[in-house]
Amino acid sequence: MKRTGEKLTIWYSWTCGLILSAAVFSILAYLVFKGAGTLNMKLIFGDASPLRAVFLQQRVFEGLFPAIVGTFILVALSIAFALPIGFATGIYLAEYADFRVKNAFNLIFDILAGIPSIVVGLFGFALAVFLHKHYSSSIQPCLLISSLALAFLVLPYIIRTTQIALEGLSPDTRLTALALGATKLQNLFYVLIPQSLSGMVSGLILAIGRCAEDTAVIMLTGVVVAAGVPKSALAPYEALPFYIYYISSQYTSPEELMNGYGAALILLLLCLFLFTLAFVIKKRLTYLAFYRP
Amino acid sequence: MKTTLQDKTKIQVEDLNFFYRDRHILKDLTVRFAENSITALIGPSGAGKSTFLITLNRLWENLPEARMSGKVEITLDGLRRDIYQGNLPVTELRRQVAMVFQTPNPLPMSISRNIAFPLKMAGNRNQEEMRHRVEQALKMAYLWEEVKDRMNDDARKLSGGQQQRLCIARALVLEPEVLLMDEPTSSLDSTATEVIEDLLLELRQHLTILVVSHYLDQVKRVADRVVTFEDGVIISS
Amino acid sequence: MSDWKERGAEKIFLLSTIISSSITLLILGFMAFMALPLLRGGLFYLLTEPWAPQQGLYGIYPMILGTAVISLLSLLFAFPLSLGCSFLISSIGPKSLSAAFRRMVQMMTGIPTVIYGFVGIFLLVPVIRELFQSGSGMCIFTASLMLGVLIAPTMILFFCDSFDRVPRSYIDAADSLGANRAQTLLYVIIPLARKGIFIGVLLAFGRAMGDTLVSLMIAGNSIATPGSLLDSVRTLTAHIALVIAADYESPEFRSIFACGLVLYLFIAVVILAVRRLAFRESGKRA
Repeated sequence: MKRTGEKLTIWYSWTCGLILSAAVFSILAYLVFKGAGTLNMKLIFGDASPLRAVFLQQRVFEGLFPAIVGTFILVALSIAFALPIGFATGIYLAEYADFRVKNAFNLIFDILAGIPSIVVGLFGFALAVFLHKHYSSSIQPCLLISSLALAFLVLPYIIRTTQIALEGLSPDTRLTALALGATKLQNLFYVLIPQSLSGMVSGLILAIGRCAEDTAVIMLTGVVVAAGVPKSALAPYEALPFYIYYISSQYTSPEELMNGYGAALILLLLCLFLFTLAFVIKKRLTYLAFYRP
Repeated sequence: MKTTLQDKTKIQVEDLNFFYRDRHILKDLTVRFAENSITALIGPSGAGKSTFLITLNRLWENLPEARMSGKVEITLDGLRRDIYQGNLPVTELRRQVAMVFQTPNPLPMSISRNIAFPLKMAGNRNQEEMRHRVEQALKMAYLWEEVKDRMNDDARKLSGGQQQRLCIARALVLEPEVLLMDEPTSSLDSTATEVIEDLLLELRQHLTILVVSHYLDQVKRVADRVVTFEDGVIISS
Repeated sequence: MSDWKERGAEKIFLLSTIISSSITLLILGFMAFMALPLLRGGLFYLLTEPWAPQQGLYGIYPMILGTAVISLLSLLFAFPLSLGCSFLISSIGPKSLSAAFRRMVQMMTGIPTVIYGFVGIFLLVPVIRELFQSGSGMCIFTASLMLGVLIAPTMILFFCDSFDRVPRSYIDAADSLGANRAQTLLYVIIPLARKGIFIGVLLAFGRAMGDTLVSLMIAGNSIATPGSLLDSVRTLTAHIALVIAADYESPEFRSIFACGLVLYLFIAVVILAVRRLAFRESGKRA
C-alpha cells in the first residue's frame, strides 16, 4: 500500500510539472507566433519617420512610440519618488528601530504590500480629486498622479528588500567597524550598505519591472489611449500595458489586433529582460562584493 | 582624578551586572586590572567571559534587549574615568580600548585600506601620515615583512593566521591603551598561534591586554594573571 | 560635531518611515471616508443587495460573490498544481532539471498580468466556448483557470521555500535510515512544512482576490448574480475599474470605494492571520 502511495506521488509531481510547463509554453509560444511578425519600425512609429519622431519633431499616430515613452517616463518618476523614501525606511527598520517598533511597522508594510493594485489606483484617483478641489484645479489624473500612485505600490518592495539585505549581514560584519571606532552612520555607509548592495539593487530592478507592467493603477490615474508623447507631468499620457488592455476589447480591425500582439510581445520581452537583469546583477554584485580590493 | 605614581590600575570594575533578555549573565562583578599586563580570562563556555569584554568597550549597546548596571573605570590619557558617565564619546572610547574577535574579520578591502580604516573613521585625511602609521602597525603585529609588497591585495586572500595578525594591526593603528582579545588563536594552527603569543608578550610593554582563552597551556605561556569565570561570577583571580 | 549629523540622519530615516506607514493608513482613511454616505445608508443592504442602479439598488453583493467564487476556484485549480510542482522541484526531480524548472517558475512571476489576460481572451476563451458550447466563453470558469496559472508560480516558490527550511538534520536522518526521495518527502518534509503550506495558500488567496486584469478581461463583467460556473460575473476589482467613469458624488461612484474598503479589510485580515501563524511557528522572531 505504501509503495503505491509513493509511486503515485512521483507520477503526480511529474504530471503537474508537465501541465504547468505546457501552460507557460503555450502562452509564450502563442504570443511569439502571433506577434513576431509585427515587430518592425512601423509598429512603433506608425507612418512617421523614426528619427524625427524620436526628436519629437513629428507626432506619431498609430504607433507604439508614445506609449513606450509614456511607460518609460512613468517608471522613472515612480522610482524617483519611491526609492529615497523606501531606502531610508528600510535602513531605519533594519538599523535603528527596536523590536516592538519594528514589528508594528513590518505589519503596516505587509498590509501595504498586500493591498490590491486597483485599490491603490483608487486612492491615487481620490487623491487627485482631493487636490483638485482643495488646492489647484489644474490638478487632475495625469502622469504625476500616476507616478505617485505607482510609487505607493512599489514602496513596500523597496522597503522589504533593503531591510532584508541589511538584516542578512552577519553579526560579526555589523560589529567590526563599530569596534574600530566608527560611528553608526560611518558603519552604515562604509561597510553595511556596500555589502548589501546586491540585494538592494535587485529589489530596485524588480520594482522597476512592477511599475512597467502595472495596468490597474494607471487605468484609474490618468492613462489614456491617444495622447501622444506627454507634454508635461500634469498631462495625460499613454502607456504600453494600457494599450494592450484597450486593444483587447476595442480593436476595430485585424491590423489593430496585430499591433496588440506586437505590443504584448514587447512588454513581455521588456519585463523578462528586467527580471533576468535583476538576477544577473544580484549574482555579479555578490561576486564583486567579495573580491573588490 | 589623577593617578598617583604607585597606582597602576588600568581598569576598575565595580558591581557589574549584565542582563540579556531575561538572563542574568554577569553578577556583581568587582575586579581590577593592572596596566601593561596580560590577564587571561578563563572558564567554561557561557560563563560570561566574552560578555565581560564587550562591557569594557560598550559594544553591547548595539544589541537590543541588553542591559547593564555598575561602574567601569578605565585610566585613559592619564585620567581615570567612568566610561559610562562623563563625556567620552563611545567612538573615542573604542579607539582607545581596541578589540580583536575570535574569527578574523577583515573588511572587504585591500590590506592597506583595512589597516587605514580606523584612521579614516577617526577623521584622518593626511595620506602620508596614514601610510606611515599603517606601516608601523603592521610592523608591530609582525606582519609587515609578509605583506609589504602586496598592500593592495584583497585582505581576504591572506591565510587565517595572517588575517588575525591583520586584525590585530588594524586594532593597533590608533595606538590604543587597552587591547581586548576574544579567543584570538582558536581558529589558527599551532605555528600561527605561536607567532601571536610572541606578539602578545611583545605588546605587553605598551598596552594592557585582556585575553579570553580556552587553552590552559597558552594561558600558562602568556598570562601574568588569570581570572576565572563561572556562571557569571569570578571565582578566583 | 558629527553628533548632530548622526542624530539628523536618524531623524530623516524615521521621518521616511512615518511617511511610508502613513500611506497605508491614508488609503484606509480615504476608502472609508468616501464610502461613508453609502455605509450610513445601511451596511447590511450594501453587502447583500444586488446592483441595479435603475432601481436605486447599489448593493455590491454580486461582486462580493464574484470575487469569492473566482478566488476560491482559482485556488482549487492552482493549489494541487503548485503542490505537485513544488514536490518536483524540491525532491522528486533530478538536480539539474529541478533547477531549470525552478528558473522557469521564477521567470513566470515576471510575466505581466495584462499578458495573461490578453492571451486568455484570444487563446483560452474560444477553447472554453467550443468545449462547453454555451455562452461566450467569458465566465467564472475561464477566468479562474487563467488566474490559477497566474498565482501558481508564487505559491510554488513559497512551498519550495518552506520545504527547504526543514532542518537538514531530519532529512539526513531519513536518508541514513534508507528512505528514498518520495518517502522523505511524504513522511518527513511535508508534515514539518504543513504550516508553511497553509500560509502559502492564504497569501495566494489574497493575491487572487486582489487581481483586476484577469477578471476584468475574461470573467465577463455581468452584474447579475451568477448561477453556474459558466456564467459571466463581475468582481469587486473589476467593478472599481468599470464604474470609475461615473458621476462624482453619485451612489454608483461611492460604491467603488465600498468595494475598495471591503478588499482592504479582507486583505488586512488575511495578513494578520498569516502573521499570527508564522509568529507561533518560529517562536519570538519578528
